[in-house]
Amino acid sequence: MRVRAVGLGKTFRGPDGRPVPVLERVDVEVASGEFVAVAGASGSGKSTLLNLVGLLEPPDRGEVWFDDVCVSRLSRRAQCPVRGRSIGYVFQSFLLITGLTALDNVLLAARYVGRARSEALPAARALMERLGVAHRAGHYPAQLSGGEQQRVAYCRAVLNDPPLVLADEPTGNLDEGHAAVILSELRGLCRERGASVILVTHRADAAALADRTLRLRAGRLEPGGGGTT
Amino acid sequence: MVGGLRRLLPRNYLFTILGIGVGVAGLVALGAMAERITAFIDGGDRFVLGQISVAGEGMGMGTGFTAGGLLREEKIEQIARVPGVAAVQAQVMLPLNPTTSQFLTLTQELILGIDPTAPMPNRQLREMPVERGRFLRAGDRGVAVLGADFASSRHLTVGQTIELGAGRRFEVVGVLDKTLTAPDRFAIVPLEDARDLWLRRDPLLVQVFAGGRGSMSRRDLNTGAAVAWADGVDGDELARRIQATVPGVNVTIPGELSRVLRQSTAFFSALLFGIGVLGLVIGGASLSNTVTAAVFERIRDFGIKRALGATDVQLLREILTEALAVSISGGVIGVVLALVIGFLVDARVLREGQQLFLFSPRLLLFALVFSTILGALAAAYATLRIVRLSPAEAIRRGA
Repeated sequence: MRVRAVGLGKTFRGPDGRPVPVLERVDVEVASGEFVAVAGASGSGKSTLLNLVGLLEPPDRGEVWFDDVCVSRLSRRAQCPVRGRSIGYVFQSFLLITGLTALDNVLLAARYVGRARSEALPAARALMERLGVAHRAGHYPAQLSGGEQQRVAYCRAVLNDPPLVLADEPTGNLDEGHAAVILSELRGLCRERGASVILVTHRADAAALADRTLRLRAGRLEPGGGGTT
Repeated sequence: MVGGLRRLLPRNYLFTILGIGVGVAGLVALGAMAERITAFIDGGDRFVLGQISVAGEGMGMGTGFTAGGLLREEKIEQIARVPGVAAVQAQVMLPLNPTTSQFLTLTQELILGIDPTAPMPNRQLREMPVERGRFLRAGDRGVAVLGADFASSRHLTVGQTIELGAGRRFEVVGVLDKTLTAPDRFAIVPLEDARDLWLRRDPLLVQVFAGGRGSMSRRDLNTGAAVAWADGVDGDELARRIQATVPGVNVTIPGELSRVLRQSTAFFSALLFGIGVLGLVIGGASLSNTVTAAVFERIRDFGIKRALGATDVQLLREILTEALAVSISGGVIGVVLALVIGFLVDARVLREGQQLFLFSPRLLLFALVFSTILGALAAAYATLRIVRLSPAEAIRRGA
């Protein structure tokens, strides 16, 4: 799936009520099967860019296109199935639901796209097996290590085989070993399944795995930062 | 079932359920107290509407709630001849403790002397409901049938004896079921025994007999009479007819007495209304606040679910299902908690012959329906607030 962001802009209100622009006129294009890293200092707008592309919040300006569909202009209701079927999210803080077991967290991705639990269960177990967390299926997030939680979160993100995976600092809270597993999985998604991956990262080694790296500074893409291919 | 509930409810709902339980327990407890007062007032109302009470003119010593004087036998016979009268039962009603006020007889313990051979005149109480033992029979002497509170406050049961004044002991032959009104505090004895007690207690009355007033006999010793009317006869009209045709008697008109009773219990009715409103407000606020807070507490989870593709309808359905499960569980716990508290408190105050709570089925059903509906509304309100946020905003707020 080809992903295009055109003239994206987002402004938040600061504590004093004044507008704080965090993203301004950003154009990005990610081809199908491409692995793109987004780098930049804290507060440069990396996570906001990911949220806008992932339809997690609406842009103030600009548009997001998935192939030939301008998904940012879809109704709130119509965006739900796009999020469920076309996008997989991996967050830095894992964002697992504390009241559900690891397996139920993974299966949550199937629930909202109309997949029956029984149909999704084998795939969920197989994924967890491959990521080395199958033995933790019945545990709650608080009973898992950070590395295990992130692997569970990754399983949830890819359970529905989404054509786009957005990963926001997925290795930020992990040690080298666990970080390598997640990065290797993301790389594999592009090569083996043709998924597009956008990875926000501070790590140079992570960015080095990407096909190209976008650099954001104060909400704008740096010149020659590789926004479009 | 437990497994199903565990899947339905995330683990962190335990304190929410307990919080709702406490709110519902408060609602049920206050409601049960209100029900108890209602039962008392309604019971008294039904009782006075079921018979015509007649007493001699003037204020006699030791009289009961008819507040009249001596009602002599000839007057009772005259009353019996009034058209429309079905039966007249001579009665002696005395306060158990003569030093206490005679004007609080609705809550006062009373000795009621009746003729067991005469039919019960009260249309609302054709026969006294006996829980243990038996009611009075013809020829009984020295025996008593006790009201439920009267017996329980003294830990009395059938076969034991009780002194009802002037050193006279009575064998308990029966204990009545709870009526939640006046008879609960009665000790019912044969009429002749009640006359004896009255004579022993009242020196003035003894002097009247000793003074040789030849026209007086023991059969004249009645504080009043309860009059039953024939089928198809209007009780109020008959009471007015007795008043008009039998001179020298004090007749209470059932409808008017009911109105007076209602007026005198107006304060309790207002109190009852206040308790009901208070219960609804406290219980309702506690419950809706708990459910709303529980939903908002999980705002991050809902943000995550929105990110995974959940629609507004899916989220609403999910949250409502959880809220219903939580509200019903909390409601059931609250009802059980209130029942336990009510049972313990009533067990304590029963020693003084009181009952504070009346847990009627309609109250318990109302509490469960109320908590369920309010829980669902509170959850729906919280959900509608949450689904207006973008997934990212919901996750940020819940972080």
